[in-house]
Formats: sequence, C-alpha cells, structure tokens
Amino acid sequence: MKRINRIIESLLFAADGPISLKRLAQIVPDADDDQIRESIEELNNHYQDHAFGIVRIAGGFQLVTRSEYHEHIQKMYAARTRPRLSQAALEALSVIAYKQPVSRIEIEAVRGVNSDGVLGTLLERGVIEIRGRAETVGRPLLYGTTEEFLKYFGLNNQSDLPSMEEIEAMLREREEERQEEEVTDRPEPPSEDAT
Amino acid sequence: MAYRIKLENFEGPLDLLLFLIKKNEVDIYDIPIAPITRQYLEYVQLMQVLDLDFASEFILMAATLIRIKAQMLLPKPQIAEEMEEIDPRQELMARLLEYRKYKEIAHELGRRESKHRLYHPRTIAEADYFDDETGLEFGQVTLYDLLSAFNEVFRRFENQPVHQVITPRVSVDEQIKFIKAFVKDRDQISFSQLLQQVHLKTRAAVIGTLIALLELIRSKSILVKQSGPFSEIWIFNPSASN
Repeated sequence: MKRINRIIESLLFAADGPISLKRLAQIVPDADDDQIRESIEELNNHYQDHAFGIVRIAGGFQLVTRSEYHEHIQKMYAARTRPRLSQAALEALSVIAYKQPVSRIEIEAVRGVNSDGVLGTLLERGVIEIRGRAETVGRPLLYGTTEEFLKYFGLNNQSDLPSMEEIEAMLREREEERQEEEVTDRPEPPSEDAT
Repeated sequence: MAYRIKLENFEGPLDLLLFLIKKNEVDIYDIPIAPITRQYLEYVQLMQVLDLDFASEFILMAATLIRIKAQMLLPKPQIAEEMEEIDPRQELMARLLEYRKYKEIAHELGRRESKHRLYHPRTIAEADYFDDETGLEFGQVTLYDLLSAFNEVFRRFENQPVHQVITPRVSVDEQIKFIKAFVKDRDQISFSQLLQQVHLKTRAAVIGTLIALLELIRSKSILVKQSGPFSEIWIFNPSASN
C-alpha cells in the first residue's frame, strides 16, 4: 500500500470525529486534495473485505463499521445506546433546521403545541444550540442546529437534506395521486338501460 | 378484565387534524368542516375519558373549528358581495399545509436517524487527546454546555447540609449598658461575678466587657478597687456609695 494511504488510514483510525479534507491536506505531507480523495477511494476499495469503511459525514471523512454489524455492536454497548429522538423532538428539530435561527414561539406556531420540553432534550443531545437572542419584543432565545446534528443524521452538510421546494413538490405530487385514485376508484354508476 | 384501547399518539391538534383529513380521504384545500369537527371533538373527548396527557392546545383548536363552522353557516353580509370572498378555513388551511411540510421533514430525519445509527465510528476516550493547536476546542463549547456544567456542580452540592458560622458580635456600647444596669442596684460586685453574668461565654464577649469596664472607669461612672496584684477586682457604683 502507498505510504500516503497508510498515513491517511492512521489518521482516520485515531480520529475522534470526522476529519475534513482541508485538515488532512494540512497534516499529510505534500498531498493535494485530489491525491487525498484518491487515497480515500483506494482505501475504501481495500476495505471491501472488512467490516468497516470510510464515509463522508459532517463535512469530513470518518471510519465507521458497516450497518450489518450494528446488531452486534449494539449488544456490546447495550447499556449506553442512546434512545432515538421522539416524534415531537424530530418535528421541532425540522423546524429549527429549516428556519434557523428560530425562536421557541416560531417553532410552537408551526407545531401548534408547546415545545419547551423537546427543546431541552434537543439541547441536551447537542443537536441544537442557542445562537443568541432576537432583537424583538421579549428578546427570545434563538436556536440553530450544530455539527452534532449533521453527525447524528449522517449528513455531510445541510444541503444533503431535501430543499423546502422539493418537499412541497413531493407533497403536491402525493396529493394529486390521491385525487386521481379517488376518481378512478369511484364505481361506475349503474346503467339503467342495461336490462 | 380491563379493556385496552389503542389510540394513535398525536403530537398536537394539527397532527390530529391531518390524521382525520387523511383518514376521511378529503381534500386539504377544501376541508368539510362539519364532519371533521365532529370527529375531532370525538377524539378529544376520548382522550379526556382516557385521561391521556392532555394538552390545552387541543381545546383551543376545537374552539377554532367550531368558530369556522359557525362562520360558514352564517349568511354572508351583502356588502361583502363585491369584495373577494375570504374562506373562513383559509388560515387553518395555511397552518395545516405548513405543519404538514415539517412533519414530512421530521419523517425524513427519522428515516436518516434509523439508517445512520447502524454505523458506528471508532470511539476514543475524550480526555486522552487534545487539539495541539488550540488546546481546548473552545468553539465547540456553547452557553448551554456551560449551563449544564454549572447545573451538574450545583446538583452535587444540593443535598449537602450547609453550615454557616455566625460570629456573635458583642459591642462595647451594649456591654456598657449591661454593666451600668447590673451595678445600679448593687453596692459592689466582683469582676468574676460580672463575667459570669455575661450572656456569651466567648473570648470576644469577655474582651468587650473589659473594654466597657475600662470605658466606664475613664468616664468615672464606676470605681474599681483591688487589694493586691492578681486578686479580685471589685466594682463599685459611685452614686450608691455616696
């Protein structure tokens, strides 16, 4: 294996989170971005027979195990597996991700329900942070998503999420499909001349 | 035998409304208010009967639905004829459409969460390594981190009894008054007797009393006599001995 590949491998192995391309280029001697990308591809080919591989996440690269071994790893870490986020938490997080920086009042206006508790959960899980205060009446706290948010959902960056236009288009399509079905489902009126 | 009713868990009134719209296969842009309101109220009643964790927001929405229904029943005022007619359902519809988008995104995030939690990165004990350049990564510490750290420390001390040591203060003025009051009805009294009457058996109280005594001697309010070195000091009330 090429020495540069081994260097990158050692960095990814020892890293405590995703490492950016820029950071790798700083550390690996005499390597430009393209060479690093090439090395990562070669390493991934090399890992084909292994239980792990390199993924792109939160704007960097990280060595992770393949999904098929989740079951076993979960058994090993049974006591420390964090519970999944609740539906309420996911809803609030969606509003924050697309409207940030956003206040609690705005989140509650969309959800139609008190969101105090879920904001606490999201802060504790580190997927959102306080970004400051709005210069409006009452100076409410403003919330935004964090790098941990990207890591948690396996996103490389915010644009990995569908855009609002895409969501709207998808919902419209679904609505149209439903209406079409409704029309075709309607039984034929019985013909009176049939007899 | 107890009956168990499985009821969908709704995140709020908008969630419940979207469910009813879907269940009835009606058009979100043309909601039949009467049947939807009726079903909504049935659900809310059921939730109350089952004593589910019940949010007041559900009641507020019930009121909104009934108001819309009433508005639609009322004859439209004549003047409004020429103006563009405003559907009373408009505002609710806009809210439902907005909410539906975020519900969809939440669904998408949920999908990604399920998928991504299957991948495990290597974990390193955090304290073992520091970023050489910056030492600590300050950028990643948020106000909330600080608050939770503070909270943690605070909690640690919460159940410990707090002892506060209050130093009893003995003022010279107080002791002057005390000595005067004590000597007033007596011809004479020994210094050790006087000290036994001092309320606080602290060094400060004894010193305070002594200073008070000296002050009284200086102002000639009392007289003191001693038969020899280290023997008992006697205190006299000059007015009484007169």
